[in-house]
Amino acid sequence: MSHTQRETTFAPISGIAAVALPGLGHVVRGEAKRGGLIFLGVMGLFLGGILIGGIDVIDRANDFWWFVLQAGVGPVAFGAEWLHQTRFAADPAIQSLGKVNEVGSLYAALAGLVNLIAIIDAFWPDVRPAPQDERRAGSPGSGGDGS
Amino acid sequence: MTWLLAYTPFVDPLDLHDVWWLTLAPLALGISIAYKAVRVPTLEEFWKGVLVMTAQIIMGMIGLGVLVYLVIEVFFGL
Repeated sequence: MSHTQRETTFAPISGIAAVALPGLGHVVRGEAKRGGLIFLGVMGLFLGGILIGGIDVIDRANDFWWFVLQAGVGPVAFGAEWLHQTRFAADPAIQSLGKVNEVGSLYAALAGLVNLIAIIDAFWPDVRPAPQDERRAGSPGSGGDGS
Repeated sequence: MTWLLAYTPFVDPLDLHDVWWLTLAPLALGISIAYKAVRVPTLEEFWKGVLVMTAQIIMGMIGLGVLVYLVIEVFFGL
């Protein structure tokens, strides 16, 4: 049984760009469409979480461990947290409770976790095979996962 | 009506307490978009892969829900 091995390189510039903004690392690397889709997915989850649970779901002071996961989104998460603490934390009317708070926190946390995958891929990109090579690699018994 | 006038998107929470489970579908979609954007070798059949993964997550969660229900209500409920 043969195994295919993908070549991996280290790309610090695109990695730092990916930390700065979701998807930017792939844009810097010349994969603008892929970067745009990463941005759509990660920011869709993050903003979706804030839309559902309100700004209260990004709360380092009261929900520290949720914020640890949410911080994977990068400076955007820290900006939202700063906005929450400086402008809205003193207002009890915006506090979200129960399932809505849990779901909103989960959305933003999963955005951070999925963005970590994108950041790792930006720092250490696989050299993606051409489509015809990928079909060969994905054939039975070759060891390629094709996904 | 008063609640609607006072509502500020992204600041106030939505009133989804009774239908919170509906949020699973867009959650699964967002995860699928971001994950597939990183993992697929080419973007030719990207949206097809996203829809398949979204369906897999939703069906998996429903399956887990049924399993947990059976464990709690049927096996331990006897």
